[in-house]
Amino acid sequence: MSTGNEFDTDMIETLGPEFTVFVGLLLIMVVPNLGNGTFRIPGTPIRLPWFLGGTRFKAVASPRLPGLLAVLTMALALFQVIWYLLDATPADGQDIMAGGVFIFKVNMFSRIFEAIFFAALLLAAIASLDRLPIGSQKSDDIDVLFNNRRQADFYILMLTSALGMSVVALAQDMFVLFVGLELASFSTYILVAFHKESRAGSEGGAKYFIVGSVASAVGLYGLSMLYLWAGSLQFHELAAHWEAQGATSLSMMALGFVLVGFAFKISAAPFHFAAPDAYSGANSPVAGVLATASKAMGMLGLMRVLLIITVPEATADGSAIWIGLLGVLAAVTMTWGNIAALGSENPKRMLAYSSVAHAGYMLAALTAIGAWNWGLVDNAGVAMDVVVAALLFHMFVLVFFKLGAFLVLGVLEMEGGASRLSSLAGLGKREPLLAVAMFLFMISLAGVPPMAGFLSKLLVIMGIVEVATGTGSLSSIGDAHWVWWLALLMVINSAISMFYYLRIGVVMYFHEPEEGRKGPLASGASIRIAIALCAIGTVAFGLVGGELIDLCRDAAESLR
Amino acid sequence: MNVDYLSMMVILPILASIFLLILTSRLNPAARAKFDAPVRMAAFIISLAMFAVATLMFLGQIGDDGGSGIAFNTFEFQESYVWIEQLGITWTVGVDGLSFPMVWLTTLLMPITIIATWNEKAGATYFPLMLMLGGALIGVFVALDMFMFYVFWELTLIPMFFMILKWGGKDRKYAAQKFFIYTFTASVIMLLGLLTMYFLMDTQTFSMQEMVVQASGANASGVWLGLEVQKVLFIMLMLGFLVKLPAAPFHPWLPDAHVQAPTGGSMMLAGVMLKMGAYGMFRLPISLFPHALEEFQFIIMMIGLVSLVWGAIVCLGQTNLKKMVAYSSVSHMGVILLGIASMQPLGWAAALFMMFAHGIISPMLFAVCGAFKHHYHSMEIGAMRGMAKHSPWLATSMMFGWMASLGLPLLAGFVAELMLMVAYWYAYGWWIIFPGLVLAITAAYYLWSMQRTIFEGGEATQPPESLHGEPVPDIDNSEKIAMLLLAAFTILFGIMPWIFLDMMDMWTRSAMAFLGLGGA
Repeated sequence: MSTGNEFDTDMIETLGPEFTVFVGLLLIMVVPNLGNGTFRIPGTPIRLPWFLGGTRFKAVASPRLPGLLAVLTMALALFQVIWYLLDATPADGQDIMAGGVFIFKVNMFSRIFEAIFFAALLLAAIASLDRLPIGSQKSDDIDVLFNNRRQADFYILMLTSALGMSVVALAQDMFVLFVGLELASFSTYILVAFHKESRAGSEGGAKYFIVGSVASAVGLYGLSMLYLWAGSLQFHELAAHWEAQGATSLSMMALGFVLVGFAFKISAAPFHFAAPDAYSGANSPVAGVLATASKAMGMLGLMRVLLIITVPEATADGSAIWIGLLGVLAAVTMTWGNIAALGSENPKRMLAYSSVAHAGYMLAALTAIGAWNWGLVDNAGVAMDVVVAALLFHMFVLVFFKLGAFLVLGVLEMEGGASRLSSLAGLGKREPLLAVAMFLFMISLAGVPPMAGFLSKLLVIMGIVEVATGTGSLSSIGDAHWVWWLALLMVINSAISMFYYLRIGVVMYFHEPEEGRKGPLASGASIRIAIALCAIGTVAFGLVGGELIDLCRDAAESLR
Repeated sequence: MNVDYLSMMVILPILASIFLLILTSRLNPAARAKFDAPVRMAAFIISLAMFAVATLMFLGQIGDDGGSGIAFNTFEFQESYVWIEQLGITWTVGVDGLSFPMVWLTTLLMPITIIATWNEKAGATYFPLMLMLGGALIGVFVALDMFMFYVFWELTLIPMFFMILKWGGKDRKYAAQKFFIYTFTASVIMLLGLLTMYFLMDTQTFSMQEMVVQASGANASGVWLGLEVQKVLFIMLMLGFLVKLPAAPFHPWLPDAHVQAPTGGSMMLAGVMLKMGAYGMFRLPISLFPHALEEFQFIIMMIGLVSLVWGAIVCLGQTNLKKMVAYSSVSHMGVILLGIASMQPLGWAAALFMMFAHGIISPMLFAVCGAFKHHYHSMEIGAMRGMAKHSPWLATSMMFGWMASLGLPLLAGFVAELMLMVAYWYAYGWWIIFPGLVLAITAAYYLWSMQRTIFEGGEATQPPESLHGEPVPDIDNSEKIAMLLLAAFTILFGIMPWIFLDMMDMWTRSAMAFLGLGGA
């Protein structure tokens, strides 16, 4: 760990990607407003040009500009993050301090999360270039004017959520983390409700906002209790305090409340009720971001709290204190998600429930980390690395196939709607390549080789089984740690999930298209490019995921 | 120069199929129709080339070494590359006496299937899927890495799912999903078993060859991983393979999948895909857990017996020809289990030979079903009345297929059944009454009923109603060629079974000795 530096010029270098996003944000706010506006010096007839307002310059008046700026910003930030990741080693780490307090820490672990966030937001931004209709600038139609006018709003919110998420990734203090979380959350609340003219949009947005703020409030209450207990919200001090004091009734209650806040973000049962409404009300790229980046953000919070703060304290048998609670949560979440998805007729709700199920798989992996006998410190770190790496890999590749599936629905939305299973009907004939991509995403979600989803599920199950079997030999399977049964539940759930994922394939290839839906879909080059990128990622990381696994392992190692 | 033929036989057809699929999907329907014939030709040539390579392998290296190079856990044409280094996953291929007959069978069936369905007008995507299926199947048989094995094991599901879904019968949607979900469920449980085993190993490895060495070393002096664990893992792995096989009571997906699948799909499904189950049993649970096998010997025997009897009885009651053939497959797969449970080198060799023989005979029966459906527009056995008069080629092929399936001497099925009976007698004594009686009675019943439906009816027989007064057709030339080829191979392996039986025998003997299991 390198020495911390106070706010200074080094910081700009260290926080390059974040500043890129910030500058991009300012540009989107300012650039479209550049015009020949002037400023009259009071009391004089002298007018000074100050370039804001007035008649906008032709070059900046295009409603496409904010979208392009956002894509450019996200691409640049992602490029910087990946550049860092390729160069860094697990031992690297740079602290940003202010007044002796750790604010941020830049290392591989935080950067890989930023890569996940930025990749998801970049793909969603590319896709949104087509998804948000842009009309002719000369049109007088009120809808067209309205849509052209709000282009900038949409991308500003995307960038603020990117900024919020990266703050969460870097935070070394619970309070900073919470600020970032809220910045990202509020951006997504508005993004979900962005199509407020549609009933589903405003309903989903309102539900998501209300449930989300309650969860945040509960989380915040938990934070206040943590502060009461430890006198600090710094991660390292909380961890030290936990180690010294152990679990008290106050700290346990605080932990429970904080978990609620994050469990909402990853849409774990029973805090998932808003998710299906939010996903189906939001436009598809935004729903994709909720299911990938926003979920990764919640997962990140859980990891910080469960693995950094509370793990040093262990129960009598050496496992973490929260293991039972988390195990039950995982089992309920994955089963509930899958069973609810079986009955969903709306493909976006189906994907939302499948995302709940995936949250269950991830919680099962976290449970496995807690199950490790932390008395054996040498091995504990290794086991944690394996499972955390599996989780990182899972969240990374999830961006491709989960978001990709939402984007395919996004293409259908451009035609008229994707809220019924039958809107996918006949896609195999109408758009063979799109249907193939959707099928790849579905079987990847189900975990069929050789897709990336299989490799990630394999890694997660491997992690759980490795922890459960331990190093010693077993005399019977009953001797394995009970998290082994979570792995069994997970594979059974995968089998159940096969049914609804396959149903999409059947509908696409077997059913006749709905009335009035014939021929190829509306064109949209950029959303198709985004889908193609997702499909390539889904297949490529499944076939040759080795490098990414390495990266994730390094990143997991840097968490310690 | 050392050419890795096996990897090429896996990768090339899959790549070719993806290329052809992308090529044809870019075209509009009118242009696509023009591509039907060239795509079919390309698929045929590729499959023929694969057959040639497999045959040359046999005539060259594999035939030459007298079987010593392909005994238990020694492999020919072995090649290994790093795949995912970080997890220790490799791409390792090789063939032994267990897998080579299956590889050869796959390459044989691919061109024959394409010939048999030459005139089906299936469209330009059908034959590429067939190629992909072939490549994935060979991948399963040659894979010597646990991860690679599982990848190809699941990959076979995808082309078959689409073949059933796109060209299947009326209930194809139900059948395709049932097929996928049954086998997928079983195989994820198998996957968990494999992973649990992986982490319990002393030296963790995905290489099947090293696993077997490790297991046998521990099994010789004690029980590898402990008996309890071995039993649980054995059940988990066997579950995956029993569903694939399929054995009663895990067979309900099979009749649906078969009845709905197109002819080519059924031929590959019955010919090779079912054998994946039996192959997997030999390759993993039996090779790794001989102690558990001994524990479960009787249960496996009972499952086999139930499959045999149940399949035969249900088969008797069918009025749908394809369903009847499908249930007869369940019955024959029971025979394979009986062979395994006999724990005799002869019984195992019988099981292996049954896999091979059934792999030639059942595609012939399904080809007959397909031709019947194609020309008579019906699957009902009632519609066959007097067929010998109207369509002598079809009737002859059907009779031949049934005779071969029921184990007529000098045909391939007989060799396997005879060997099985002897081994079973050694192992279980008077129990032989059950399989013996079932085989004899069903044989007699089928032949009698077939004779009545196909040949009787005489002058008064009218063409079946399903033709709606069209002239009664006989089968096409392409179908004739396919039938003749399959019949020729059935006779060839009936008269000269030693072509492959030698290597199977070698493999089972060395396997028994290696695993320290009992033998005659």
